[in-house]
Amino acid sequence: MLSLFVLLPFLAIVMLNLPLKTVTRQLALWFGIALSAGQVFVVIFQPDVFWNGTDLLGRFFTLRLQADNLSMVMLLSIGIVTFAAILVGRQTIADSRLRFNFMNLVLLSLIGMNGTVLLTDLFSLYIFIEVVAISSFILIAFQRDLNALEGAFKYIILSAVATVLMLLSVSVLLMAAGDTSFSSVAAAVKNSSSSHFVRFAIGIFICGLFIKGGLVPFHGWLPAAYSMAPAAVSVLLAGIVTKVSGIYALIRLSTSVFGPDSSLNAVLMIAGAVSIVIGALAATGQSDFKRMLAYSSISQVGYIILALGCGTKLALVGAVFHLFNHSIFKSLLFVNSAAVEQQTGTSDMDKMGGLGSRMPYTNATSLIAFLSTAGVPPLAGFWSKLIIVIALWQSGYYIYAFIAILSSIITLGYLLSMQRRVFFGILSDKLQAVREAGFGIVFPACVLAAITVGVGLSFPFIFNSFIIPIGAFLK
Amino acid sequence: MNEFSILLPIIIPLVGAMLVIIVRRLGGMKEGAALLATIFSLVTAIMLYGRELNYSLPWAGFGMEFTLRLYHFSAFILLAVSVFAFLITLYCCSFMRGKSYGVWFYFYLLISAAMVNGAVLADNLILMLFFWEGLLVTLFGMIAIGGKEAFKAATKAFIIIGICDLCMMFGIALTGYLAGTMTISKISMSPGSLGSVAFIFLMIGAISKAGSMPFHSWIPDAAVNAPLPFMAFLPASLEKLLGIYFLARISLDMFKLDVNSWLSILLMVIGSITILAAVMMALIQKDYKKLLSYHAISQVGYMVLGIGTCLPVGIVGGLFHMINHALYKSCLFLTGGSVEKQAGTTSLDKLGGLALKMPITFICFLVAAASISGVPPFNGFFSKELVYEGALQRGAIFYLAAVLGSFFTAASFLKLGHSAFLGKVSDANKNVKEAAPAMLLPMIVIALICILFGVYNHFPLSNFIKPILGEQRLAGHEFAINTTLIVITVVVLTGALLHHLFAVKITGSGLKSADYIRYAPVFRGIYNRAENKYFDPYDIGLKIVNVITKTAWRIDRAVDWIYEGLTVRAVYLFSNGIRSAHTGNYSLYIVWSLLGAVLVLIVIMKSV
Repeated sequence: MLSLFVLLPFLAIVMLNLPLKTVTRQLALWFGIALSAGQVFVVIFQPDVFWNGTDLLGRFFTLRLQADNLSMVMLLSIGIVTFAAILVGRQTIADSRLRFNFMNLVLLSLIGMNGTVLLTDLFSLYIFIEVVAISSFILIAFQRDLNALEGAFKYIILSAVATVLMLLSVSVLLMAAGDTSFSSVAAAVKNSSSSHFVRFAIGIFICGLFIKGGLVPFHGWLPAAYSMAPAAVSVLLAGIVTKVSGIYALIRLSTSVFGPDSSLNAVLMIAGAVSIVIGALAATGQSDFKRMLAYSSISQVGYIILALGCGTKLALVGAVFHLFNHSIFKSLLFVNSAAVEQQTGTSDMDKMGGLGSRMPYTNATSLIAFLSTAGVPPLAGFWSKLIIVIALWQSGYYIYAFIAILSSIITLGYLLSMQRRVFFGILSDKLQAVREAGFGIVFPACVLAAITVGVGLSFPFIFNSFIIPIGAFLK
Repeated sequence: MNEFSILLPIIIPLVGAMLVIIVRRLGGMKEGAALLATIFSLVTAIMLYGRELNYSLPWAGFGMEFTLRLYHFSAFILLAVSVFAFLITLYCCSFMRGKSYGVWFYFYLLISAAMVNGAVLADNLILMLFFWEGLLVTLFGMIAIGGKEAFKAATKAFIIIGICDLCMMFGIALTGYLAGTMTISKISMSPGSLGSVAFIFLMIGAISKAGSMPFHSWIPDAAVNAPLPFMAFLPASLEKLLGIYFLARISLDMFKLDVNSWLSILLMVIGSITILAAVMMALIQKDYKKLLSYHAISQVGYMVLGIGTCLPVGIVGGLFHMINHALYKSCLFLTGGSVEKQAGTTSLDKLGGLALKMPITFICFLVAAASISGVPPFNGFFSKELVYEGALQRGAIFYLAAVLGSFFTAASFLKLGHSAFLGKVSDANKNVKEAAPAMLLPMIVIALICILFGVYNHFPLSNFIKPILGEQRLAGHEFAINTTLIVITVVVLTGALLHHLFAVKITGSGLKSADYIRYAPVFRGIYNRAENKYFDPYDIGLKIVNVITKTAWRIDRAVDWIYEGLTVRAVYLFSNGIRSAHTGNYSLYIVWSLLGAVLVLIVIMKSV
């Protein structure tokens, strides 16, 4: 019963908000941890209850849920990142009332994300993307200071544009197909491939998703939102929210609903390449830890979209694998930034230095994460980038492959400079009192680092049994 | 004695070396362990002598097999190595007393013995290279333990021999490619055009190991700084044995050199130049050890010349000279060690009159010096006569070079003996005593062997040397000594003696007897340059490398600038541009998004 992925978080929210708040406030955290960890468990061990049987939700609504390999990967990433974000939130949000609100919003976001990756209907997809978006607005503005409100406001404004574009597109496609399920929309797109209306609808839907995913030049909201949001929210936002609502949807729609289509692929490749380069170059000049990571996120998302545009099976496998890896190492970097920000009270890298001696775990995990991001073997990020570059090369996109490799060097450059400015060097007098962050930050960091290293090291063993079968979602 | 016993000459010294390290803290035990190991390997070598054994083990694949072969030639070298290892270890028991690096010396000595044994036994070129290179490491170690200056000399030796070994590696690859096998005993070809190249590269390896010119320049440096027994052990004996062994193998077995080959001429030219140039340098030295070290180079010339003649008589002479040289030269170095240990210096102008203080050392020196000068009836005389005869058959010029070399050898040893052992005793040397028995014994044994091999020269010739060439090659050759050549030799030696007496009378000192040559009109310039290392290939190489390094450094700066200057600046330029575009203005971001949407729509809808 796939709808459990949506129903359980929903049930949790309902239970938490029963008039027993003194009890539930203590329990909220454990609900979140149990749900996210349980999701990871369910994806890995595949218990029968979740994956088979008649769907309760389908009986009352016209919802078709479906879980293929792509959805599995997404559910896994969602579980892991939400787990990390909840732990970070527990550590960084001091007020128990605020923490309770945070938990409710994270659960709401979990509903939205799980729904997004399981649905097979364009309109429902839109609805659930909006659920995620609304919870994100509030999460970003969570602390109600000026910066946070500004970041949230930017996100709302551009999301509104995206909403308009997507809703318009859905209505046009509804007219063309008479139905918004993926299969009938795909059929309508195929039959009326010369229709201006349909092409227009596809175009604006893609643009809406570009905004959600934060691709250049639709990325204006992203650096502000990522860097202004509270630490735990940045982890959630950068690690998984934009990936699900933007990138996952792009992968799903461009492969099995709107495409495969050559001009669509061309758009994706250009947007991907531009995002890679602009993101990397913009990240180079940043002095704010989280802002740099935000731009880096844009650049890494570019790799996924570039591979998606390439369109071969290997490229798509690389794209999904990179999506998974990215959600791991980028949330790890944000966890590290949360640790640093909490302990030093700033995220300005120019004011840091030498923290490695005081924060050994944060230092080590950040090292792993940045090496993985830059694509240094044998970490996980190296393999996914390698697959992408190989796929590009095989398809004859030599220039794109070259851009991908060259940007990797820039990535290494700015992340190395980050590592040096923050963790290496001599500790300044002001930072003498800094200590390692608490368990709630160090533990998820270690778990995420272990995943990155473990996936990287075991890559040769899982390549044929786990990585390549991801491509099975292509029909 | 089964086939595994062929491994013993390699294993015993290695085990001994480990033992030395293990017991080094226990007083006196390290000497005991080293002596025990050398005695065992001597016994093994004696028992293995005269046997033919083969042992093969699959190794690295691709034709690289762990193949060992024991036959009369390798068994003979094995025996000689064991004898020298034993005698020099015995000598060191006394010499090394009170020196901090004693342990490491024994360690390296035993490993070296194992490596030489392995290289000699190896029947696979790659395997031989393995042991050969191992020797390079111990050579470096043995020189380097002598101190800070010695480290420089060790580096020099390491670089020179390393480069030569690299040449040999290339030669081995080429040979293996040409012959289709790496097994030495299966290779037998006449050097064609490519074969000649392979031969020359292998030859570079062989003669550099033997210390011939132009790969010699580390030896005099090492002589000054390295522990003295090292000189007696490696450059004087083991390396000569190994180098000449390999030279003989490549020019007799692997490549069938004959009289008509230009490679033969090349070898003879190298030999002649080495004889003359090195002996001229030896003549003017004012240090006991340094003078000997130049002779260690000069005498290689005779061996290379002898083998280069490609005539049975020359080859027999060259190989006989190899073993003779190892004997008398190690003996000479050991006397040098005694003098250094007892008198505290080896500088000739501070020595003098030691003959009465150290009579046994003096007698051993006398025997060895007579041998090296080719005075009948010592062993050096007979081997040199055979080389002379071979050289004369190939061309009078080679003979002339050899005889002239003999003249200067004799002259320089007269000078050395005169200034070190005769003359007045200086005040500093008044209390010098004879060396310890453990140091005297090896010298006496070697000196006795020198006499034995001279007087009964048929014994080593027919037992050790002639079997190497085999009955076939020797058929129809008599080794009766040519009377005319003997007369000439005697005349030359008498000339050297008269020259010395005359020069001493004029200059009034044994030490300065050769100085008039040093300061003769043409020679003065040459010597000055030689002393400033003008002709040292190592220094020339260093200069060339310096120029290359400087050029490379400039190029590197330029490349660096492209990466560190240009690229970084460009990246920051773009980065700043992009950053300043992100003003944080909502409407700007919306405009971007809408413009992007328009572009996307253009592309998507264009295909309709």
